[in-house]
Amino acid sequence: MSTQLHMQVQVNDDGVFSRRSFLRTVAAGAAGLGLMPTLAAHAQELRRRQMACILLFMNGGPSQFETFDPKPGHTNGGPTQSIQTAVNSIRIADSWPTVAREMGSIALVRSMNNREGEHQRATYLMKTGYLPVGGVRFPSIGSLVASEIGPRDFDLPQFVQIGGGGLGGAINNGFLPMQYAPFRVGNPNQMPANTTLPGDTSRTRFDRRLGLMQDLERDFAESGGEARVTDHRAHVNGAANMVRSPRLQAFDLSRETAATRDRYGRGAGGFGGGGAFGQGCLLARRLVETGVTFVEVGMGGWDTHQNNFDSCRTLSAQSDAGFGNLVKDLRERNMLERTLVIWMGEFGRTPRINANNGRDHYPRAFSIAMAGAGIRGGRVLGSTSDGGNDITNRPVGVSDLFCTICHALGIDPRKENQTPIGRPIRIVDGGNAVRELF
Amino acid sequence: MRLVFGLRATCLGVVGLLLTSAGLVTANAPKKEEKKPAVTLPVGALDTKDWLKYSTKAIEPGEIDRLVNAELVKVKIKPAALTNDEQFLRRAYIDLTGKLPSQTDITEFLADKTPTKRAKLIDKLLETDEYAKHWGNYWRTVITTRATIDFRLQQVVPQYERWMTAQLKANKSWAEITREQLTASGKIMYNEPDKNAQAFFLMSRRGADAVTEIAAETSRIFLGIQIQCAQCHDHPSDVWKRQNFHEFAAYFARYRGERPVLEEKKFVGVQLTSLPFGEHRMPDKNDPKSGLSMNPKFLDGKAPAGAKPVASTKGPIDPKGFGKGGFGKGGFGGGGMSDEARRKGLTDQITDKNNPWFAAAFVNRMWGELMGQAFYSPIDDLGPQKDAMMPTVLARVSGSFRGNDYNIKQLFRDIMNSETYQRQIRPGEPGEEHLMFATRNLVRMNGNAMWQTLNTVLGPINSGLGGKFGAAGAGPLGRFGGLEQQFKNEFSFDPSTKAEEIEGSISQALMLMNNPQINQRIRAQGNNMLARILSSYKEDDEALRAVYLRTLGRRPTDRELKTLRGHIGSVGNRSEAFEDILWALINSTEFQMRR
Repeated sequence: MSTQLHMQVQVNDDGVFSRRSFLRTVAAGAAGLGLMPTLAAHAQELRRRQMACILLFMNGGPSQFETFDPKPGHTNGGPTQSIQTAVNSIRIADSWPTVAREMGSIALVRSMNNREGEHQRATYLMKTGYLPVGGVRFPSIGSLVASEIGPRDFDLPQFVQIGGGGLGGAINNGFLPMQYAPFRVGNPNQMPANTTLPGDTSRTRFDRRLGLMQDLERDFAESGGEARVTDHRAHVNGAANMVRSPRLQAFDLSRETAATRDRYGRGAGGFGGGGAFGQGCLLARRLVETGVTFVEVGMGGWDTHQNNFDSCRTLSAQSDAGFGNLVKDLRERNMLERTLVIWMGEFGRTPRINANNGRDHYPRAFSIAMAGAGIRGGRVLGSTSDGGNDITNRPVGVSDLFCTICHALGIDPRKENQTPIGRPIRIVDGGNAVRELF
Repeated sequence: MRLVFGLRATCLGVVGLLLTSAGLVTANAPKKEEKKPAVTLPVGALDTKDWLKYSTKAIEPGEIDRLVNAELVKVKIKPAALTNDEQFLRRAYIDLTGKLPSQTDITEFLADKTPTKRAKLIDKLLETDEYAKHWGNYWRTVITTRATIDFRLQQVVPQYERWMTAQLKANKSWAEITREQLTASGKIMYNEPDKNAQAFFLMSRRGADAVTEIAAETSRIFLGIQIQCAQCHDHPSDVWKRQNFHEFAAYFARYRGERPVLEEKKFVGVQLTSLPFGEHRMPDKNDPKSGLSMNPKFLDGKAPAGAKPVASTKGPIDPKGFGKGGFGKGGFGGGGMSDEARRKGLTDQITDKNNPWFAAAFVNRMWGELMGQAFYSPIDDLGPQKDAMMPTVLARVSGSFRGNDYNIKQLFRDIMNSETYQRQIRPGEPGEEHLMFATRNLVRMNGNAMWQTLNTVLGPINSGLGGKFGAAGAGPLGRFGGLEQQFKNEFSFDPSTKAEEIEGSISQALMLMNNPQINQRIRAQGNNMLARILSSYKEDDEALRAVYLRTLGRRPTDRELKTLRGHIGSVGNRSEAFEDILWALINSTEFQMRR
């Protein structure tokens, strides 16, 4: 299926621009439009079009000590023990057995840092690469990736966001066209809202209604509404195509065996403490298989100011099953080389254990994990001091992370998009791809 | 025109394109010309001084039309015909109240034969609660779409919206509404609704960059000037330099945005925090960890009344933002103005009658909302070097707005009673160009208006939580608010976006097409609108007219009637055919447009 999809990609790139971004590009004086793409560029383009990305976002800020940078033996480490992974030199916290087995495919960055210690702003920074600045609505990384490498003429949304428990509602396509907005799926155990026809509406009746609507719109279009009708029709057709698409079944987890679903973990429902994260990971795999470019799976509950160790044990069990099995399945299905998987939160947690047996916000040194899309697994980049207070080696900033994502997916991080007031905004401002990871 | 604006914004040469673009515009007028002589568009920039030359006398009836038409004559464009009563009624209702007229409203208005009935309707609608609620929601959205609202502040958003609604209901002047917000202090408590909610705007920021962000938003929203473009470097095409931005930010040097109010380890409210010391520093270009301390100065370079300047010193910038800029020369507790005094000084300067931007920003925004296109585009991007369409018209209308002490309802009256407002949409107008107010530009309804309109047409839609967790799809916060909240979240957009850039989405289309609760209301059964119409009108044509009037505020055209009759015939089941028709109308472009 995916091969067919790639063959549909038009080599001439003019369809990539929506009418608006086309105008913006012209307005910005971009000179590239007239260039005939070379064969090499075609190959590059086709390669890019095959790439996908899955972001696993741990809302609240997961503790690095209880995940991928445990410090057993040090006071700051608390009671958390470490376990051996599939890679001899790497040990991680003991509630992560599945990820430990997959460590050969996963790279850890233990020297991640940002300067934001507040959830909302840190989340904004980690998801857009920018801090919120009055006047500019920065697009989410998912929208950026979808707009750069998403296939055209695809009958499902190119950016799907699953689950929540976070503050990400305001982070969307920003100044990019609406077609790159996240399509939100609240509960992966159900089909997404409004994608199935209501009880009294057969497929035939649905098509009949759409046909009638299009006939009735002619007079309005001719009396001055033509441009709006054209825009509207694009979304209506997009929605109708989705409803009719055979790919829609990718959203239907009941098509997986009970064993598979169990393997990914079936958290109790609800939106606070992780919920259906494992099932979200399974859905992410299915969506990427069917050709969706970017899937974000959110998991809540990591803001462990109190009772950090018990909470993290429960949360880790769910996150481990979801993340670990996702990497395993992608690897076994030969999809990992074209799929970048990122596990991260908005910041880490304090080395010091507070009076409530919790840990507080700590943006100065924390861990993230990456796999696939050329990332060399079984490696640890960067390190922290014995007590975890400071980065001792190879700090990685948010811009570096974003450049790394771009590098893995074949995106030029210095490309400029135009805001509605004509302000050029780079995909990533500053930073460098972390070459050691590839 | 869009193109021209875009080019201007990126500082490329444009003279040639102005002419080309003029050619494009005239090409839309009745098609007899192939090579019209190029005309110069009435586009230009106004300096701060230029604005003050225009009269502050109240706008007279017909004056707006004379001014606009004079410009249209110069570019040889004929204005579109006036709306008929049905079109006008729908437009005025949606624009002022976010609602469609009821069946009774329609009948009464069409039966009224007095020549002043449009003016009377505008007066009547301005006095409704729905007007205040609709625009209260509008201003709340202006602020919240670009703010970072944490879960603590989220809880007081409805309080703020109610506060704004009350101001509009009482027709408080825009200067007063602005002053209340910019000079606010203290707490908003969860258990004390409707107290001090004006402090919300200043609480919409927190953390290290709260100072520069609130400065940028204050300038954008209340002055229509995007001074933050100068935050990092001098913009070659703007008069305001980097130092101007940081001097403006210095008004907020001691402001620290929202903090929680804690009682017995529980969040019970939010409060605005100030520091008793500290100056804002403009980061050094070569060493951004240090910078020069700034004294507050307005866009015209003037210090606020009672300024206590502190000698500029170079010092470190604390990345955590606490005491950003260090203690300055004034030292702890002394030197410089207090946070409250700075914000009061700023408000005095913003609302000063000799500052034209305050009035211009508001008038430009309201005109843009009502006409579908503004003088300056986007509506929050004004400035002495920015081009506006027909700037002299804006200058005159905002002169009048200053002259009548920023009277909001009067501004609505001035604009909506003009023929310029009451023009029809017309064919052949490309969606990407400035229509020069010769015709109405189509704009999407916002989430609030769409929900209310749908409920007026179909009757109250069951908004209860669907399914175990509520049907998903409206973002983390909407999930708990039932269908109404989901719907509004799904259909809302940043009100400062250009009309032509406000796009629909697949999720919106899916919701209107397939949502079970909405579909339940479309069915011709029980007490639903369609069931009642079908039993009252046995003739199909009459029933069709009633459905059209109710949903689109107009009668079907002859061609539409033909299509509709054909549909009814081919389906063979009257109820089913009419359900299809109502579904098609609700899902149509026209239904979602303010036209």
